Amino acid sequence: MRLNPYLAGLCAAFLCARALAAEPLPQRWVSVGSSLSEWIVALGGQDKLVGVDSTSQHPAAIKALASIGYQRQLAAEGILSLEPDILVGTEEMGPPPVLEQLEDAGVRIETLSARADLTTLERNLGRLGELLGDQPRAARVLAGFRQTLERQAAWVAAAQRDQEAPWVLLLLGHAGSRPMAAGRDTAAAWLIEHAGGRNVSEHAGYRALSSEALMALDPQVLIFTDRSLDGEAARAALFRENPALAATRAAKDGRLLVIDPTLLVGGLGPRLPAALAELSAAFYPTARKVSQQP
Amino acid sequence: MRPVLSPRSLFVALALALFLALWLSLALGPVSLPPGDTLRALLRLFGLPLDGEGAGQAELILGQIRLPRTLLGLAVGTVLALAGVAMQGLFRNPLADPGLVGVSSGAALGAAFAIVVGASLGGLPEALAPYLLSLCAFAGGLAVTAVVYRLGRRDGQTNVAIMLLAGVALTALAGALIGLFTYLADDATLRTLTFWNLGSLNGASYARLWPLLLVTVVVALWLPRRARALNALLLGESEARHLGFDVERLKRELVLCTAFGVGAAVAAAGLIGFIGLVVPHLMRLLVGPDHRVLLPASALAGASLLLFADLAARLVLAPAELPIGIVTALLGAPFFLYLLVRGRA
Repeated sequence: MRLNPYLAGLCAAFLCARALAAEPLPQRWVSVGSSLSEWIVALGGQDKLVGVDSTSQHPAAIKALASIGYQRQLAAEGILSLEPDILVGTEEMGPPPVLEQLEDAGVRIETLSARADLTTLERNLGRLGELLGDQPRAARVLAGFRQTLERQAAWVAAAQRDQEAPWVLLLLGHAGSRPMAAGRDTAAAWLIEHAGGRNVSEHAGYRALSSEALMALDPQVLIFTDRSLDGEAARAALFRENPALAATRAAKDGRLLVIDPTLLVGGLGPRLPAALAELSAAFYPTARKVSQQP
Repeated sequence: MRPVLSPRSLFVALALALFLALWLSLALGPVSLPPGDTLRALLRLFGLPLDGEGAGQAELILGQIRLPRTLLGLAVGTVLALAGVAMQGLFRNPLADPGLVGVSSGAALGAAFAIVVGASLGGLPEALAPYLLSLCAFAGGLAVTAVVYRLGRRDGQTNVAIMLLAGVALTALAGALIGLFTYLADDATLRTLTFWNLGSLNGASYARLWPLLLVTVVVALWLPRRARALNALLLGESEARHLGFDVERLKRELVLCTAFGVGAAVAAAGLIGFIGLVVPHLMRLLVGPDHRVLLPASALAGASLLLFADLAARLVLAPAELPIGIVTALLGAPFFLYLLVRGRA
């Protein structure tokens, strides 16, 4: 019997495709890093998550999952007890010997970047989509995110025609201790910039500032990341303890904002557009809200 | 102070405790393995040709995770407790701990240097990076101890009181430098540093285990040979000299054992407090001050206590883990207080 070469080729191609598709997608996921966990949920992977790290707090449903602790102090056996196929995290996770042990035990380690920029996000979402087996959805989510950011940028540009960009200082607060100011190359700086503000501090990373330096910076808007600062009494107490803060323009004008600190962990997350809209509405109080635009 | 226990009954109890600690440390963990599998996997690791289904997983967890971790705990606990006895003997003070000669603060300084500078350089050679922290901690511990010892030397004699004061001063200096590094560190590096300061047996690997095991074996064989000299030293330096012991050499050996032992332990597992202070003290309360009993008893008790503490550290919050320094202090301090209060009544 002679085989039709065309048919044979088709068969071979079909078999190849089958073999490729047979490479199973990971079904049990452990996710490390707030933003990554949120993206996995946004891409429809929530059912596959079996464990998350201590920064993964959103959406509320994943708090019920097993917590594997702080991302730089992972424990090999604890993670293995969840029987994961894959561990997804950023370059911030460790320690390296533990990752090696996990890899030896057959857990796939997928290290994505935690850089706060759109190119990184595009690459991360593409990879997550591939691993979840739903690339179209990942592309859709990314396009939506981009679009919101573009709308946001347009809104900020419009608002800046009537009003100058405010000088903003973001303080990373651990209740009681000296707050750390966010400088260049941080997720906080990205947030301030895209909400239409100008970051007053110029150092790189997060630094503790002296009271005098704080007064000299004299920001027009203060952002706190401490959820316990919600409410008048808490703020009054903060100002009593830090007279330097109370002397800033932001305090005098009452322009104090609070954001969720988990927004700043593990790169750009899906809750950022909403946080940006809220921040920029407070930066430009006279402009119309983003959502009210045609 | 009269011994509460005879040496023989103490050793039987301690040997049982250590055996229990070793077995539990191998048998328990966040992944639950049937005891039969654990035993079979263990025997296979020691080269017995046994077969059984599901042995692969058990063998991997035992061989790659629990066994190195257990050996690390055994070595760290032993060497910290022995160094504690050596220091309490050298300073003739039951409140001495290995930190007095600056080895802990020196190691912490080395680690802070490695963590902060390593993070800011970023581009270390791949092969070296995982060992940089351990090497720096070890080198820092040795260097500071060497300076303390050197400052205590005068006219060919080692003045223990000056060494003690030099240790206090250098610990303060190291603390200031660590403070400087923490100031330079960013938020993430800071957390790494904090966790290192609390110690952990997590991520133990054979490559980092062997140097420590070697040091531990040498220290554990060497110090008991000096038990008589240490006993003589209890009477006072000149008395020990008149009894025919080479006191200068003894001091040098004690400092050397402590520096290498604690340096290696800290390099492998971070700062783990309390074992070096509490265990020798506890053993002295139980069997009296004879170093021929005190040294081996402390070694056994230190290893057992550390292994039990590690067991708690990995089981309480599973699948996450507690730093072991928290557990040793939480277990050790109240027990120690209880003994003190009971002893006074």
